[in-house]
Amino acid sequence: MRIIGPDELIFGVDNIQACRDFLKDYGLIETAPDCFEALDRTAIILRETGDASLPPPLPTATRLRETVWGVEDQATLEAISGELSRDREVRTEASGRLSTVDDAGFRIAFQVTRRIKLDLAAERINSPGASPGRAANEIGANEDAEARPRTLSHIVYFVPDMDRMANFYIQRLGFVITDKFTNTGPFLRPQANDDHHVLFMIQTPDYMQGLEHLAFHMQGPTELMLAGSRMVKKGYQSFWGPGRHKFGSNWFWYFNSPMGTHVEYDADMDKHDGDWVMRETPMSKEAAQMFLFENVAKWAPGGPPPGKG
Amino acid sequence: MIVVCRLDDVPDGGAIGALPNARGRDTLVLLRRGDQVLGYVNNCPHYDRAPLGWRKDEFLNGDGTRIMCAAHGALFRIEDGVCEVGPCLGQALTAVALTIRDGHVCLADGSALLS
Repeated sequence: MRIIGPDELIFGVDNIQACRDFLKDYGLIETAPDCFEALDRTAIILRETGDASLPPPLPTATRLRETVWGVEDQATLEAISGELSRDREVRTEASGRLSTVDDAGFRIAFQVTRRIKLDLAAERINSPGASPGRAANEIGANEDAEARPRTLSHIVYFVPDMDRMANFYIQRLGFVITDKFTNTGPFLRPQANDDHHVLFMIQTPDYMQGLEHLAFHMQGPTELMLAGSRMVKKGYQSFWGPGRHKFGSNWFWYFNSPMGTHVEYDADMDKHDGDWVMRETPMSKEAAQMFLFENVAKWAPGGPPPGKG
Repeated sequence: MIVVCRLDDVPDGGAIGALPNARGRDTLVLLRRGDQVLGYVNNCPHYDRAPLGWRKDEFLNGDGTRIMCAAHGALFRIEDGVCEVGPCLGQALTAVALTIRDGHVCLADGSALLS
């Protein structure tokens, strides 16, 4: 299954203007009404809560209504349709997009990807012993540099049964586990993407099911810190970061958002192929962050309801 | 007696953050309904370091009838802070006792933020 990664995330919200302001300030570009794109055209779509075009909401607090996965070609869509039609309804929309539901009840869709191929420079650094990354007199700390999210990197779900959920993506859609937090959930990579993860999940009580966070890749750590600093200056609420994760190695900076989910900037994630051997460790703050400029005791909820552990 | 702000600083029907800590993070959420001001600790009960808002003084859902946690979308009743839907279902925001004195919002004796 040649699935690339999340192409679009569709939200149903009751505070759409606040969400528009947030996504623009975050750095996405509104290319059509309430369609906010990264540089490669992956997108966040906003709709009013009661919009008739939206799939039904989950009974929880999440405002995520649909996750649209991008695939390489029509043949992949047909393979997905054939596989998932065996035990659930798969609807083909007029656009050719497939719409169905996963084993946790999240609405999911598949389309030939909307991504365009990017041809952009990486962050350039100077390092003793290596050829200079920047020419003489070229400045690294440019406060006026543009900082645009390049592509929708990954999503993280709260799920009531991580094994059932992971097995759906592994056995039915060909994802592979790159690393795993024991009793929390696996990091998953689809076949047509070498990023460490495009999907991660955290096991929670069923009333928490929803989107924990979404993340876009930035050029590099400097651009990530520039973009995050601009958000802080505009009064947005930082949640965790900036720092660097261990699994995936990506730099991170998480913010609260009016869509009722954390929204992350990430940069410089590891890439893997079939030779990689999965690592596993219990989740803890030491396991989740290699370093952090603002320390936190705990970075995600989980486990049984209060008083029942 | 700690004076938090002027009553007029809190918009009627709205909410503001107050009492920033050393990092500049507001520790208190104030909500005003007429002459009544309610206060809650600015932390979602589903874990121990989760500020509620998404932007300075932005704490409410779209129609202003609930406090919304901008981490995962939990909704809380304004009158008692009880979570109606979300990761902290059945829990409640920590209320902060306030008094109004001479047009100012003050922390009451024994307030949660004084302990």
